[in-house]
Amino acid sequence: MYRIGIDVGGTFTDLVAVDEIGQTTLTKTASTPEDPSIGVMAGLNSLAEALKLDRIRLFSTTERIVHGTTVATNALLEHKGARVGLLTTDGHRDVLEMREGLKDDRYNLRMPAPEPLVPRARRLGVRERIRADGRVQTKLDRISLNRAIAQLKRDKVEAVAVCYLHAYRDAKHERATADALEKRMPGAYVSLSSDVFPQIKEFERVSTTVVNAYVGPALSRYLGRLAERLSEAGYRGPVLIIQSHGGVAPIVEASRLAAGAVLSGPAGGVAGSRYAAKLLGEGNLIPFDMGGTSTDICLIVDGEATLATDRKIGSHRVALNSLDIVSLGAGGGSIGRVDAGGILHVGPESAGAVPGPACYGRGGTAATVTDANLVLGYLDPQHFLGGRSKLDREAAEDAIDRLAVQLGVARVAAAEGINRVVSTNMSEGIRLVSVRRGVDPRRFALLAFGGAAGLHVTDVARQLGLSRVVVPRVAAVLSAWGMLTTNLRFEVARTHIGNAGALDGIATKRLFAEMADEARTRLAAAFDGPVRLQHSVDMRYGEQIFEINVPLDDVDWGATNPLPQIVERFHRRHEALYTYAMRDQEAVLVNARVVAIGVLPDLPQEPSLPAARATEMRGERKIYLGGWLTVPVYDFDCLTQSQAIIGPAIVESAMTTVLLGASDRAEVTPLGWLDIDVPVLHEQP
Amino acid sequence: MAAPVDPITVSVIQHRLLAIVEEMGEAMLRTSYSQILNSSRDFSTAICDLKGRLIAQAEHVPIHVGALPWAARSVSDFFAGDIHKGDVFLLNDPYHGGNHLPDLTAFVPIFADGKPLYWSINRAHQSDIGGATHGGYNAAATEIWQEGIRIPPLRLYERSKIRRDVMDMIAANVRHPRDFRGDLEAMIGSTHIGERRMLALAAEFGWPITLAAIEAVLDGAERQTRAVIARWKDGVYKGEAILDDDGHKFKDVHIRATVTKAGSSLKIDLSDSHKQVIGFINSSFPNMRSACAVALSYLIDPHTPKNDGTFRPLEVIAKPGTVVWANEGAAVTLATSHCAQEIMEAIIKALAPACPDRAMAGWGRRFRIAISGKDPRNGRKFIWHLFEARPGGGATSAGDGWPGAGEWNGAGGVKFGSLEVTEVRFPLFFRRHECRTDSGGDGQYRGGPGGSLELVVETAEPALGNTAGDGVRYGACGILGGEDGLPHRYILRSGKRRPRTIKTKEVGIVIRPGDVFNIESGGGGGWGNPAKRKKEARDRDVKNGFVKAKRAQPRRPRRRLHASGSR
Repeated sequence: MYRIGIDVGGTFTDLVAVDEIGQTTLTKTASTPEDPSIGVMAGLNSLAEALKLDRIRLFSTTERIVHGTTVATNALLEHKGARVGLLTTDGHRDVLEMREGLKDDRYNLRMPAPEPLVPRARRLGVRERIRADGRVQTKLDRISLNRAIAQLKRDKVEAVAVCYLHAYRDAKHERATADALEKRMPGAYVSLSSDVFPQIKEFERVSTTVVNAYVGPALSRYLGRLAERLSEAGYRGPVLIIQSHGGVAPIVEASRLAAGAVLSGPAGGVAGSRYAAKLLGEGNLIPFDMGGTSTDICLIVDGEATLATDRKIGSHRVALNSLDIVSLGAGGGSIGRVDAGGILHVGPESAGAVPGPACYGRGGTAATVTDANLVLGYLDPQHFLGGRSKLDREAAEDAIDRLAVQLGVARVAAAEGINRVVSTNMSEGIRLVSVRRGVDPRRFALLAFGGAAGLHVTDVARQLGLSRVVVPRVAAVLSAWGMLTTNLRFEVARTHIGNAGALDGIATKRLFAEMADEARTRLAAAFDGPVRLQHSVDMRYGEQIFEINVPLDDVDWGATNPLPQIVERFHRRHEALYTYAMRDQEAVLVNARVVAIGVLPDLPQEPSLPAARATEMRGERKIYLGGWLTVPVYDFDCLTQSQAIIGPAIVESAMTTVLLGASDRAEVTPLGWLDIDVPVLHEQP
Repeated sequence: MAAPVDPITVSVIQHRLLAIVEEMGEAMLRTSYSQILNSSRDFSTAICDLKGRLIAQAEHVPIHVGALPWAARSVSDFFAGDIHKGDVFLLNDPYHGGNHLPDLTAFVPIFADGKPLYWSINRAHQSDIGGATHGGYNAAATEIWQEGIRIPPLRLYERSKIRRDVMDMIAANVRHPRDFRGDLEAMIGSTHIGERRMLALAAEFGWPITLAAIEAVLDGAERQTRAVIARWKDGVYKGEAILDDDGHKFKDVHIRATVTKAGSSLKIDLSDSHKQVIGFINSSFPNMRSACAVALSYLIDPHTPKNDGTFRPLEVIAKPGTVVWANEGAAVTLATSHCAQEIMEAIIKALAPACPDRAMAGWGRRFRIAISGKDPRNGRKFIWHLFEARPGGGATSAGDGWPGAGEWNGAGGVKFGSLEVTEVRFPLFFRRHECRTDSGGDGQYRGGPGGSLELVVETAEPALGNTAGDGVRYGACGILGGEDGLPHRYILRSGKRRPRTIKTKEVGIVIRPGDVFNIESGGGGGWGNPAKRKKEARDRDVKNGFVKAKRAQPRRPRRRLHASGSR
C-alpha cells in the first residue's frame, strides 16, 4: 500500500509515494495555478507511470493522500479572496481597521495604512451586547439584524464573518445570526468568531474570523473540486490537508476552518525536519530553508516544532495556533545594493524567479547572492540544477562589477561581500529568533534544505558558534516524508477566564471533559485509529498582559479539584521560561485547550545506502575562500556510508550545492546525508 | 588606533551593531516585569562611546534617539578616571542627561585593552518613580521635586558588587519596589548582553579594525543623511506650533523654529520659543535635542541607522529659560510627549515646503486619563490608563493618515490592547469604540480619523481621574494647504449634572458611579490642497462614513490661527 504526499508550490507540484518498505518515488510536474487540481491529477498520472502502474491500480493500492496547498495563502496574499461582509456588535465595527493602534516600521511615517479585508461600508453594527461575565446586556435585535443582512445582500457579499463582543463566553447571538443568514442568504459562506476562534481578545478574534471568511470560499471550492476529481478517478481513501499547526485534517474540516490553512505552505518542511530530528537522534534542530527570496527558519526543541499564536500573513493577523516559522528576507535571488553612505546591503529586495539573478540570462541585471556565488566559483555554470539550466557567468560578473565600482573594491571582493553580508543577516536573524524564544542557538544543529542553503549554511553555523550542520540528500523528499509522518490534529480552545484561586474546580474539569468530547467527536468523523489527548491552559499573573501556554500532560484529572495542580504547573513553567515565579501573586487562567491527535502509523524507514567502496571526487574547481583555491568536487548522489569529506570541498547534486569551508568535516550518514562538523572559531562569550 | 578597513568589513560590522542593540532589546522584552515595558516596549537599547557619540540604537522609542548621548556624556564626565570593569551606573535626572524622571538609564562600560571605550545602555520607562502622583505624570507639579526621585549619575555596582544601600534607597522611593527591582535587573541584564556581544565582535575582527569600521559606519550614516538633505531646496524656513496651555496660568505656549537649510546641512534655531512655564510641559535640554533628532529621523530615509553620523548635519540653537530648555528645577514630565511633539511640529512644518514629499502632516496629540478607584466585584483598588481612542495619524504624499495610530512621537508603537480583557479586569463598560467621523483634516490626502469612545464607569463609590495631554484647542496640524485635524473633546456625563468638558491637565476629577465618558479624540492633519483630492477618494470616504456627506466638499481655506511653512 502506498501513501502519497502532494505539495503544490507556485511553480512545481511535487509528489511522493512511499511503499510499505519505505521505498520512495518522487515526481515533479508543473503547477496549474488557475485550478491546481489539474496539476495534481497530472502529477498522479506521472507518479503512476514512475511506479509502472496504471492510475486505477495506484489508487486502489493507496491508503492515504496528504496534501499541502497554498490556495488559501495565495488568496490572502494576492488579495483575491471573497467579497466579505462583517457583522459586529453595534458601536464596535472598526476593531479590524484600528489594529489596536499598532503600526510597523517605527520611523516610516510615509507608509500608508494597510487596506482592511472588509472595507468599513461592509462592516455593519448589530444591536446586541453580551457582558464580560456572560450576562446579556442587550438582546439580539432582530430589526437591526435584518437591516444589516438586507444591506449585505444588496452589497452582494459571498461570505459573512460574524464577531460579537464576548461571544467566546456565550455564542447564542452569533448562532442566531447564523440561522438568520442561512435563511436569508442561503449559500453564503458564514464564519462565526465563536466557531473559528472562541477566545477572548476581539482584534485577534475578528481578524482571524474575517480571514476565514475571506479565504474559505476559494479553499472549499478547490478542495471540493479535488475531491470530486479523485473520486471520479476511483480513489476511495482519505484526503488529508496539512494545516498551519503542522497536523493534518480531512477536507470537510479544512474547508470549515480555512484560516487554519493559510500558513500550511512551509508546514511540510517543518514536519520533515521533525522527522529528520528523529532519524538523526538530534532533538534540537533549526531547519534552515533558503529559497530564492527568503529563508524560513523555525525551532525544533526536544523533537517538537514550536507553535505560536502571534502569526501574521501579509498584514493580516491569524491567531490560530501555527508553526512558529520566521521568514528572513534573504535568499538566492536577494539583491545587493550600496546605500548613499557606501554601506553594502543584501535584500530584502529580490530578483525573484523573473527576471531572476543576472546569471539566469532572463534579463536580470541586479547583482544577487546567486551571481556572487557564481563569481566566487561555488556554482558550476555548466551543471546548475544538474545541468538543466546553464548560468551566464559573464552576466554575473557584469552585475557584480557594477556593485564593485560603487563600493570601490575589486570584483571578487564585492562578490565575497555579498556572500558575507547575507550570511551575517541570516546568522543574526537566527540569533534573534532564538533569543526571542528563550533558547541559545549554540545548542542546536542546523538542518539545511532549499536550493540555496548549502552554500551558506556552514558559514552561518560558524558565525553562530554552532558546530553541527546536516544536509539531507533530497530536500523535496524530506518535506513529502514530513507530510506523511504527520498526525491528524484537532484543536479546541475556550476562554475560561478567572483567578485560578477563585474558579470552580468541578466546572473546570467539566469544561475540559466537554472539550475533549468535542475534539474526539470531530476526529471520529474522519478517523478510527488510536487517539491521544493533550490538555493545556494559557495563564498569566494578575498584573501581566501576556499569557504563557502551560502543558498539563501529567495532571491527575481524577482529583476533585485539579486547579491547584494546574497553578503549580504554571509557576514551574513561568520559572522555566523567565527564570522566576511569583507564587504570592494571583495566577489567572485565560484559555483552556485540548488537542486530539489521531495517531497515524509510522513511516517505514527508507533503506540505507548500500555499502560500497568510497567514491572518488568527481572533479576539481577553483573557488574563492579568502584566496583562490582548487578544491575537490563530490557528487552528492554517489556518496557512500561513513565516507568522510574534509573541507575545503564542494558537494553537488541536481538540487543543491554544499560548500565545506577549510577544516569543516563531513561524514555521510546511512541515508546518504551530510553530517558536517564545523569547528568553532571564535570562543563566544 | 584606527586601521584601514575595507568597505565589506564595514558593512558587516554595521549589520552586526544593529543586531547587537536589537538583541539587547529582545532580552529586555523577555525579562522585564512591568506592563509598560513588556507590552508597550517603552524602552531603548544603544551603544555609545565614552565621548557620548551614539554608535548604534535599536528602533524602539523615537524620543530616546538623540537623548542618550547627553546621558552618556554626563556619566563619562562625572566618573572620568573612575570607571571599572563590572561597574553599573544609573541616571534619570533630566538636568543631568535624562529626558524625564520616569526614564531610568543603566550604563555598563565596555573595555578595550584595559581602557573603557563604550557604554552599553538601556533606557526604560518605569511604571512609577515616586513623587506626588502614581506613574509620574503630575499635572499639578510646579517643580521637579513633585515629580519623582532624581538620580544624577550614580554608581550602582562597583566592580560587579552591588551597592545594596544605594539600591534600597532608590527602591524605597518608588511605589512598586518589586517591579522596579525586576525591571532594573532586566535592564542591567540587557546591557551586559550588549557588552558581551561587543567584546565578541572585537574578538572576531580585532579592536583596531572594529574601531576603524565603527568610524566608517558613522561616516556612512552621515553621508546617507546628507545625500537626502542635499536634495531639498535651500532657504530659511519658519514654522510654529502652539500648545493649548501648561495647566497653570499659561495659554498658547508657542514654539518657533527657524530652520536654515544650506547644502547638506540644517540649522534649527528655537530661540524664539515661549519662555519657560510652570506646568510639566517644559522640556529638558536633552529632551529638546531628542525632539530635533526625531524630526530629522522622520524626514530622512526611515532605515538610515540612527547614530552620531546621522545627526552630524544638524545644528541646534536654543535659549535656556525657554519652554524648550527649562532651567534646572522646572517640572518636565510631560515633555517627552508635549512639548517634544510641538518642537517636531514646528520643525517639520517649517521644512514642508523644502521637502513636500517627505514631510508628513501632524499626528494627533496625547490626551490620557488615569482612573483610580475600587472594583465593586472584588473590593480591590485599581488604576486604569486610557490607551484606547487614540488620535489619528498625519497624511503624507504617500496617502491618507493611519486611523487611531496615536501620537507623533510614538507613531503606532503603543498597543491599546483588548476591550474585552479590560472589561474583565476593570469595572468599565465600553458602549462604543470606533473611528470618529469627520475628525481627519481635509487635504489632497486626508488625516487619519481619531477614536470615538463611550465608556461607563461601573464603580460603587466615586473614583478619581487624572489627565495628561494637550490638543483640545489645537488639532494636529495640516501642511502644504491641508487642514488641521479636529482637536480632542472629552466630556464627562454624570447623572443629571451638566456635562463637563475634561481639561488635558487635571488632577482629582471626581467620577461618580455610573458616570459616562464621551471621548472624542483628534484626527490627523491633512496633506496638500483639498481641492486636489480625487473624487473617488471623497466618494469612498463618504461611503465608508469617515466623512459625512455634507462635509465631503473641500471647504474654502479658512484663516489659520498660526502661520506655517512661510519662507
